[in-house]
Amino acid sequence: MKVSLFAQVPYRYLPDGFEERYTSAVTPPYGLVEPGRVHDSLFSAYAELMAGARAGFDGICVTEHSQSSYDMSPNPTLMASAVAAATRAEGLDVAIAVLGRSLGKTREPLKIAEEYALLDVMSGGRLIAGFPVGLSYDANLNAALPAIETRERYREHRELILRAWTAPEPFPWNGKFEKYGQVNIWPRPVQQPYPPIWIPGTGSPSTLRDILSNDFAFVYLSWDGPKLVGREVFDRYWELAESLGRDRNPYRVAFLQVVAVAETDERAEREYGRHLEAHYRSGPGAIPGTMMAVPGYVEPAGIEAMLRAGGPAGMLARMRTASFRDLVDTQVAIVGSPATVADQIEAFVREYRIGNLLVMLQNGSMPRDLTEKNIALFTSEVLPRLRPIWDSEGWVNRWWPRGLPAPVSDTPVPDGPVPDGPVPDGPVPDGPVPDGQVPDGQVPDGQVPAEGSAR
Amino acid sequence: MTTSATAVRDEAVPVWAGRLRVHVKVAGSGPPVVFFHALSGLSWEPLLDRLAERHTVYAPEHPGTSPGEPRAIDEVRTFAELLLVYDELIGALGLDRPAAIGQSFGGMVAADLAATFPRLFSRLVLLSPVGLWRDDAPIPLMEMVAGPPENLAGYLFAHPDSAAAQAVLAPPADPSLIPAAIAQGAWNIGCTTKFAWPIADHGLGRRLHRVAVPTLVVWGREDALVPVAYAGEFGGRIAGSEVEVLDDCGHVVQADQPARIWAAISHFLDS
Repeated sequence: MKVSLFAQVPYRYLPDGFEERYTSAVTPPYGLVEPGRVHDSLFSAYAELMAGARAGFDGICVTEHSQSSYDMSPNPTLMASAVAAATRAEGLDVAIAVLGRSLGKTREPLKIAEEYALLDVMSGGRLIAGFPVGLSYDANLNAALPAIETRERYREHRELILRAWTAPEPFPWNGKFEKYGQVNIWPRPVQQPYPPIWIPGTGSPSTLRDILSNDFAFVYLSWDGPKLVGREVFDRYWELAESLGRDRNPYRVAFLQVVAVAETDERAEREYGRHLEAHYRSGPGAIPGTMMAVPGYVEPAGIEAMLRAGGPAGMLARMRTASFRDLVDTQVAIVGSPATVADQIEAFVREYRIGNLLVMLQNGSMPRDLTEKNIALFTSEVLPRLRPIWDSEGWVNRWWPRGLPAPVSDTPVPDGPVPDGPVPDGPVPDGPVPDGQVPDGQVPDGQVPAEGSAR
Repeated sequence: MTTSATAVRDEAVPVWAGRLRVHVKVAGSGPPVVFFHALSGLSWEPLLDRLAERHTVYAPEHPGTSPGEPRAIDEVRTFAELLLVYDELIGALGLDRPAAIGQSFGGMVAADLAATFPRLFSRLVLLSPVGLWRDDAPIPLMEMVAGPPENLAGYLFAHPDSAAAQAVLAPPADPSLIPAAIAQGAWNIGCTTKFAWPIADHGLGRRLHRVAVPTLVVWGREDALVPVAYAGEFGGRIAGSEVEVLDDCGHVVQADQPARIWAAISHFLDS
């Protein structure tokens, strides 16, 4: 399977008791921050993504949230762009997954088509293009777009972007929300016809049907872990897949999981416990439920079903007061020794047929040194157990970046060899790529990797 | 909730080239009055019972707010289209220059209809309408709609604990009906805020001078949603209008001051 490092960009120095006084989205007062610590928070997130790329993750993932203290990432293509350039310079063949620009939130979807295309070109065909609708608070409060139009905007914007990537000639676009006379973006993606498309969602039937019908990948991007709602969502997903005639390829599915690894279970609790509690309480736990579903964002049938089920599925409503024990018992966070963590992950990965695992190893106030320890232990002790899980079934991961196409002109790319084909879909070597070797899909720029890059 | 002794019937009126059926609640007899409801959707409230005693009351349900037809809202793309839909509806109902009453969001609708189609109505009553914006008197619509439910009454009523206020917000007595009622209520706000989000300003202030019928503007001095400063903004732009500001009265004027509101409206409609 493919295992990627997922990162948000929290402000890491929120005052104690933040969640009792403030919300973490829309209205958190910026007066709480120290500018130098914002820099530290952002740069640490970047450095950790790079550390993950060097340590052997298959990809890095970032998300978009505006006006948020738990994810200072109003445009994730900026962070992705920095990582794309630096990993190319170091010859690291990692996927760059932007999960993504929110299409129900944007007022300028063509800009997203352009940014993603540029990122795909610059990374050498390593982009995974995430197309989420966007959370209600982001689309309907921050961007202040009418909630009832969120999904209509999403559908139009996605259609426009895909057409902008693939239309051979300039075309006019007379949409409900967007109007253009000549759509003809430069550059366009190097991956043909376009990068793998991953659709983050929380698993509503209509979203799953859309994803499966279009043969996109489903990213279950929840804060809830596998235990609380995984059964319901993945049963629904695979039943729907079967009814639509799709195969059982596990690479159709990506799943986000918070993980914290230490030498022993006890040490993991001691080292990570307070950071995890702080993360859930001051981050997702401090988003009021009313901001997650501004009236009009969810149809009446959906709200009624949720209320009849006794409230929102999962942990969100309880996160503001969640204890470490709550988080671990529910598997909202999987925490412990390498064996503990690997056992729990392997079990749900096999149970739900997850081919792409995304792990979030930094949370809330967790400092960079502890995060890098988490990254090192995860990649050295846990990742090798997970990689071969699906090998015996022989599936091809059609939702993974394909790298640069074969060159067709006589003009050489000056800085080194160009791979002569797409990245193969077969199993990925377990270990790190030896020093000096250029992984497939990469164009090294001839520089000697800087400190810390030797894998 | 609909608790009324008045016989109220539902008419589904096809408009908009047949793409839309607007449900209209109709009751009473006498000169026609069209009532445009607020953000939360239509509920048959005591004010409408009083009106129906001497008028034929037509109370349209905003597109999408009629139970079972949530996506009807998609047929109305813009606020300008909503005005055209209502112009067609009044014609389809066969009404000749009815009086119009609009509250809050419905006040904006009624006022803009009267400005856009100056011969559509005979009289106009605006109960604390939205539709204008002053930077020194912001309207906390987003804060109310996306804020904690327990804060809602404070935006709407001078006396949130009063029986009248509680009656407006009360859930259905039958617990099994509560989820559907909450879901419908939220969707209704989604359907109306489509044309009021995040700021209910479609340029009405630049058209209000076109209103050419006798107009009564009513406001509560303690309105916590649309500050009373807007009473003068409406009054000043509509020539010959009457402005009545009530003390000890919040945004839902007919809940906070039912007797005085009824006196003002009935006097105005009869004069």
